[in-house]
Parts: sequence; C-alpha cells; structure tokens
Amino acid sequence: MSIRLLDPRLQTLVTRAAVVVAAAVIVLFPLSPSMSAQNTMIMTLVLAIGASGLNVITGFTGYLSLSQGAFIGIGAYVGAVLAIRIPDVPPLVWVPVAGVFAAAIAMLLGLVTYRSRGPAFVIITVAFLFLAQFVAIQWVPVTNGTAGLTLPLPDWPDAWGNWPFHLVLVTLLALSLLMTWAIRRTKFGMGLIAIREDEGKAGTIGVNAPVYKLLAFGASALFVGMAGSAYGYYLSFVDPTGMFSIVTSALIVLSVILGGRGTLFGPVLGAFIIQPVNTFANDTFGGGNARLVLFGGLLVLLVILLPKGILPTVTALLEKARTKGTVGLSGARLNPLDRPLLPVDVKRPAPTGRILLEVRGLHKSFGGNHAVDDCSFTVPEGSITALIGPNGSGKTTVFNLISGTMTPDQGEILLDGERMERLSPWSRAHRGVGRTFQITRLFREMTVLENTVAPLRDFSVRQLGLDAVSGSEAARAAELLEFVGMSAYRDARAGSLSYGQQKLVELAQVLMLDPKLILLDEPAGGINPTLIERMGDLIRDLNAKGTTFLLVEHNMPFVVGLCDPIRVLARGAVIASGTPEQIQKDPLVLDAYLGDDYLLEAPSKAKQAANVPAVERNPA
Amino acid sequence: MTSFIQTLILGLLVGALYALMASGLTLIFGVMRVINLAHGAFAVLAAFLTFTLWKHLGLDPILSIPIVMAVMFAVGWLVYVAVIRHVRGSHVSMTVLATFGIALMLEGIMGFIWGNTSTAVRVSYTDASIALGPLYIPQVMLIAAGIAMLILGGLYLLLNHTWAGRAIRAASANEAGALLVGVSVATIAALTFAIGVSTLGAGGAMLSTIYPFLPGSHYQWIARLLAIVVLGGLGSLPGAILGALVIGVGEIAATSYLGAAWPVAVPFLVIIVVLITRPQGILGARLREDAVA
Repeated sequence: MSIRLLDPRLQTLVTRAAVVVAAAVIVLFPLSPSMSAQNTMIMTLVLAIGASGLNVITGFTGYLSLSQGAFIGIGAYVGAVLAIRIPDVPPLVWVPVAGVFAAAIAMLLGLVTYRSRGPAFVIITVAFLFLAQFVAIQWVPVTNGTAGLTLPLPDWPDAWGNWPFHLVLVTLLALSLLMTWAIRRTKFGMGLIAIREDEGKAGTIGVNAPVYKLLAFGASALFVGMAGSAYGYYLSFVDPTGMFSIVTSALIVLSVILGGRGTLFGPVLGAFIIQPVNTFANDTFGGGNARLVLFGGLLVLLVILLPKGILPTVTALLEKARTKGTVGLSGARLNPLDRPLLPVDVKRPAPTGRILLEVRGLHKSFGGNHAVDDCSFTVPEGSITALIGPNGSGKTTVFNLISGTMTPDQGEILLDGERMERLSPWSRAHRGVGRTFQITRLFREMTVLENTVAPLRDFSVRQLGLDAVSGSEAARAAELLEFVGMSAYRDARAGSLSYGQQKLVELAQVLMLDPKLILLDEPAGGINPTLIERMGDLIRDLNAKGTTFLLVEHNMPFVVGLCDPIRVLARGAVIASGTPEQIQKDPLVLDAYLGDDYLLEAPSKAKQAANVPAVERNPA
Repeated sequence: MTSFIQTLILGLLVGALYALMASGLTLIFGVMRVINLAHGAFAVLAAFLTFTLWKHLGLDPILSIPIVMAVMFAVGWLVYVAVIRHVRGSHVSMTVLATFGIALMLEGIMGFIWGNTSTAVRVSYTDASIALGPLYIPQVMLIAAGIAMLILGGLYLLLNHTWAGRAIRAASANEAGALLVGVSVATIAALTFAIGVSTLGAGGAMLSTIYPFLPGSHYQWIARLLAIVVLGGLGSLPGAILGALVIGVGEIAATSYLGAAWPVAVPFLVIIVVLITRPQGILGARLREDAVA
C-alpha cells in the first residue's frame, strides 16, 4: 500500500486534480455571498500575481527583491492617472499599458544588476521602493502628493459586483503562471538558473547574463503592473503610503519563500496562505502592530525552520521515502577502465604554424599589487601549451583576463588575430574560448546532464525561446559525458559529486561549446593519480582531434609528459619559453620556480611518474 | 560662505553620530556577512529606552547611555542566539529576510509599548546653542558628536589592542582560518553582534534628543545607515566613518539648498548611485571571485 501511495504517476494525478479543483474554486469564488471573503480573494489574487512575478527573478535568477510591491503601486498609479486624464475610456482598458510601463521600470532596475549582486542588490531594491514612494509624494501635479488620487467608480451594472475585477485578476494570474511555466522549460529559463547558481561561471559558458536578467526583470513586473492597475481601480483610490508600503513587498517575498522558490505553484500557494492570515490579523487584532509582529515572526521562523519552502520540502520528503534503501551513485568509485579510450595512439596534429592565441604586454594590478606585469606569450594552434610558475605569479589572473572574467588595465589579447581583451566573457565563449576553474564551479543544483547542456555557442533572441534541452543537444551531451566517463552520473545533482568527478563534468561542459581553445586551470590539482592519468589521456585525445589547450599546472611530471611548449610565469611576466627539455635546464626557471634540486626522470617515463606529488618550489 | 561653513559644521556633527550608529552595522557585516536590516529598529528601540528612563526616572539622556548600552548589548546577544546564529552562513537573501523580520517585529512591539506617535526627549540644553560669530553650534549635537567620537575611540582600542578585538578582526578576514587557530568564531560572532548593537544603543540614546522618532522611523534610519556603509564599503570601519560624514554633510546641504523634503531622498539616491558606479564603496575591496568555492 505504501509503495502505491508513493507511485510517481499517482502523485502527478493527485497534483493535477488538486490544481483543477483549486482553479475552479478560485474562478467561481465571487459566488460566495460574503463580500469580505470576496475582498480577501481579490487581495490574494494580487499578492499571488506579485509572488508569481517575483519568482522569475528570485526563484529562477536568484536576485532577492524587496521592491516587488512597488510595481503594484506603479501599475495602480499609471492606471489611475490615465483614467482621470482620459475620462471617456473604461479604466480597465489601461491595464495592459500599466503592465508594460511597470515592466519598463523594472528593466531599469534590472540594469543595476549589471554591477551589483547579492547583498548590494537587496539594498538597492529597498532604496528603489522608497524612492518610488518619494516620487509619488513629491510629483504633486501628476500624483496629487500624499492626498492620493480618486478613480471614477465602475460604470457596469451593480449586479455584476466584483466579477469584472475578479476575472481580470484570475486571467492575469493564469497568464503569469503560463509565462513562468514557459520560461522554465526554455533556454531562457535554463540561463536564468545558471545565473542564479553562479553568475560569473554562466558568463564563461556563453550566457549573456545582462540581457537575460533584463528580460527577467521585465517579465517579473509585467503582470504585476497590470494587477496593480486593476487593483487600484477596484479600490478606486491610490495613495503613496498604501501603494508603496514595504510590508506589501515583505508579504510577496514571504509568499514566494513559504510556497517554494523556483517552483511553478509554490508562490501562489504561499500567497493563498499569507493573505488570509493577513486579513485575519487585521480583523482580529485591528491590524497595525499585531500584524507587524505576526509577519515579522513568521518571516524569522520561516527562514530558520523552512528555508526551502513548502513544495520543495514536500517533494524532498516524498523523494526520500521513495528512494529509501537504494544506494546512491555519487560515492561510487570511478573506474577509469570502464571505457577504453578510443584512439590509443598518441598522435599530435601536425603543427599548422599558426598562432591561435597571442597575449601582448598584458597588465593587471589590484591596488598596488601588479599581479600581471607586462606579460606576453603565444599559444600555437594545435598545441597543448602549459603556463607554469610559482604560486602568486599571476597564472590564474592571466586566465581570468583571457576568459574575460576580468578586463586588463593594458595590453592586447588576440584570438586568431582578432582583438578580444574588451569583449564580455560570453562573447569570448561564443568565439571559441572555453575554460575550467581551479576550484570547480558547476551549477550545483542542476543535474550533470543539465550542466553539460547549459553552455551556449551563440546568442540570439530566437534562442531564448528554444527548448531548454533539445534532442540533439541531449544526445551530444550524453556523448561528451560518455567521453569523460561520467555517463552513469548524468542524472545526479552536480553538487553531490566528488571533486575529481566535478572536474571531469566541467571538462565535458566546456566541450559542449566546441571551443577552439580550452583553458584548464590545474586539471590535475587535488585529484587522485588514476584520475590524473585519465585527465591526461582525455586532453591528448581531444588535442589529437584538433583542440588547442592552454593549461596551468603545478604537477611537473604531468606537464612535462603532456605539454609542449611551456611558458614560465614569474612576478606577472613570462620569463622563459620553450620545449620541456629547454625549460627544465633554464637557469632562470630553476631559480624562480623549480629550484636547484629539481630532478625529473626523462619525459618518456613521465607517465609512470605522474603519481609523484607535485614538484613545487617557491622562491623565498 | 558663512552658510556653507555652517552647513559643513552641522553636517560633520550629525555625521559623527551617524558614524557611531553605522559602525555596528559594518562590523556585523564584516564578521558574519549579515546585513542587519534590524539595525534601524534597534536604534529606535534605544531611543525609546532613553525616553522611558528620562520620562519616568528623570534620568538625563547622557547619563542613561551606560544603561542603554548594557541593555542593548543583552538584546543584541539574545537576538543573535535566537535568530542570527541559525542563518549565519546561509545565503545572503535568507539573512536579509531574517533581520527584516526582526525589524518588523520590533516595530510592532515598540508600537504596543510606546504607541505610534512621534516622541522626543527634551532636556534643558535641547534648544541651547553656542554662538561663534555668525555661526551657531547646537549644544546637543556637539555633545552627541563628542560622545560618538569617545565611543568610536573605545571601539578602535577594543579592536586593535585586545585579544577579543584581534579575534573579531581575524574572524572578519577569514572565518575558517580564525577557527583553525583557535578562535571560537560562534562566540566571536555573538560578541560582535552584541557590541554592534550596543554601540548603536549609545547612538540611539543621543538620537532621541536630536530627532523626533516613532516605531516606523526605523525605515528612514536603516536607509541612512545602509547608505553610509554602502558608500564607505561594506565591512570597512574607516569607510563607515567617512561615509557617515559625507552623508551627514550631504543631508544638511540638501536641506539648506534644496528644501526640507530632500534629505529623505539623499540616502536612497546615494545607495543607487554608489552601487551602480562603484559597488565596493570608497574603501571597500573587491574580492576575487574565481577562487570562491
């Protein structure tokens, strides 16, 4: 019996039935004889639309906003001002206009996320809300200041009651949910989630974050502005204190978190719990202080006890009950012999003689620290080039400059002869530069497959609407996971993988970009010897197929066995360049990095020696 | 010119008070990456405590500072143990929501106890001022600035010349590292939070003699304090002091040159402009992003 209860098909059925019943009750609610119940329902619908909109930026994109309530106010004001100035048109006609206006303002707010993330953004949203209120108070000719605006009363027959308002709001909620659902299953939604998980990383795999965020902000306010306009007309009065109260924003956030961020119905469920409680508190305790204590306390308790929200918690519990007793994959040993590498002959592509990447006179300082100081080197096409040097010599900074995570103070970076030092990370990814990170940066909440599919090779508006994972992409991703030997983990959550496994998945992810040049930051760092060997084989294999590599590594046997040429970085500049043999004899390199007592077996034996701990000497 | 100097003097005096109040906010962020949105509410709470001591016991606000600081220290410690402890280290949006929840609760509780009407502490020296030629310096503001500098000096000594202070700075620089060298980061965090709220308490006590306040004033205060720490650089104490002086002068200048409604907007405009143009603030440092796990 318990097994049948946990049947996923039964659950889907139950969920669908619940949604249909709830929808029917909501649509037909004005049949209720109680005017106060109808009023609560109208306010609940407004809150639910607000929460559903906020879900797009908070749930998907990861930006918490305390100014969502402002868009209800902005919508209400736009509707009110237009209704008063143009009296011959029924006020509900202005609903879409108010929505578009609110969306435009939201996109302006979204612009600030170009520079500000996390805590800074939350603070901005608070400031934005109060600024909106300030404008509503001060711009007296349009808003009538603190006195507020009174709208004309509805001109439809009394018998219609609240039906027109109610149906407009129900339609808006349905549209909002439809939009959320559509976003979630497209490339657009996938990109937003990538931004939420790790915005910097999302850029390096080709996600044009600013455009994505701007659209997300617009989408988050569109229906909210419309709902605000209808709500203002319903109240037939708008004023700055009522419309721009931070408590409204808090209730919206509360709804989203309570129901479950990032789920389709969670925010709506949250709103249907919060608003009735709000009404109850107002009716029973006379609102004001009791309401503040109640919601303040609720917020605190929610954050401490149920931070994920109702729906995700319930899903997790069901999942736990269902998988009880089965063994997880993530701890299993990764056997490198699971899949023999295809071409065993380690054949290098004939050197084309062309330069794929050229770095000229690169400078980057952090305060007074010249991390990269007049750095110049080249990466020949078809090579596996190594960038070695002591800790702090600027290797990772050079990587950041090449991948676009940072912009240089001075100097040029050319890919195939094209300047790219001022391009955004995603444009560089689109031009064929892929990178991995010293400490892996996978999207932890996504599955391995989703991680692999997430990279985007170009950007177009049309692409935003494509399915998140198309058939051919899924096939290609599966192929790449097979290649790195991680197929068995395709549905595992990336965050649950071991460090070494994450490195392999990150490589597959980068390969999805079909890059000309792959930057690997310590591919052999922190993983076991078998995996190091496997990593070397994969790199050789890919190189044989024509991919050029630039890698930073401290494991000298690994570097000597794999790379040619080698560039040695010290104090931010390249001090030596050449074949492994030349580098190992170079007195400058021995002095700056390898150390006088540096000894290494002949390169031909390097493979066997690959499990020797990294040889590293730091100049004092 | 006189009016300019007058503006500058008044601005620096309120700036000193703001600096004292903002120091706790930036210290708390530095140590536990928590933006304490309840900081404004704590300030108003301290003002109400001072009001009660003055009204019912006839205690002068200056003399009540030690009592208010002690009470606020306890309040800070309690709130840390009850709430902040559980969200420290979780995503920043969660800590923001938790502290915002505390702010709402405090607003409601203060409304129950003291009512939602505007309150002020009026003492013998409230309207007195010292004349310096054409300039005047209100006595309360001078006293407030003096006390602020005294307590900030004490805070500086505490942070730089005591073991606890070194532990706080260590936890601020690198939590895991501090833990490894034997600093009990949990206790240090509680201590930091309590100290932050306590120094704010002194500021709140002086605030009560200069500005009228009511429970809902905390929004204005948190906006002002956030603007200050954002301007100076989140987590930087010297930055907060510099930011406070700039905001203080800015507000007074906005009042005298633009009109009485404008100081309200100054913090919001500062926040938005600073966070768009230089998110790390004047003295804040940008953290390297690639090495974050």
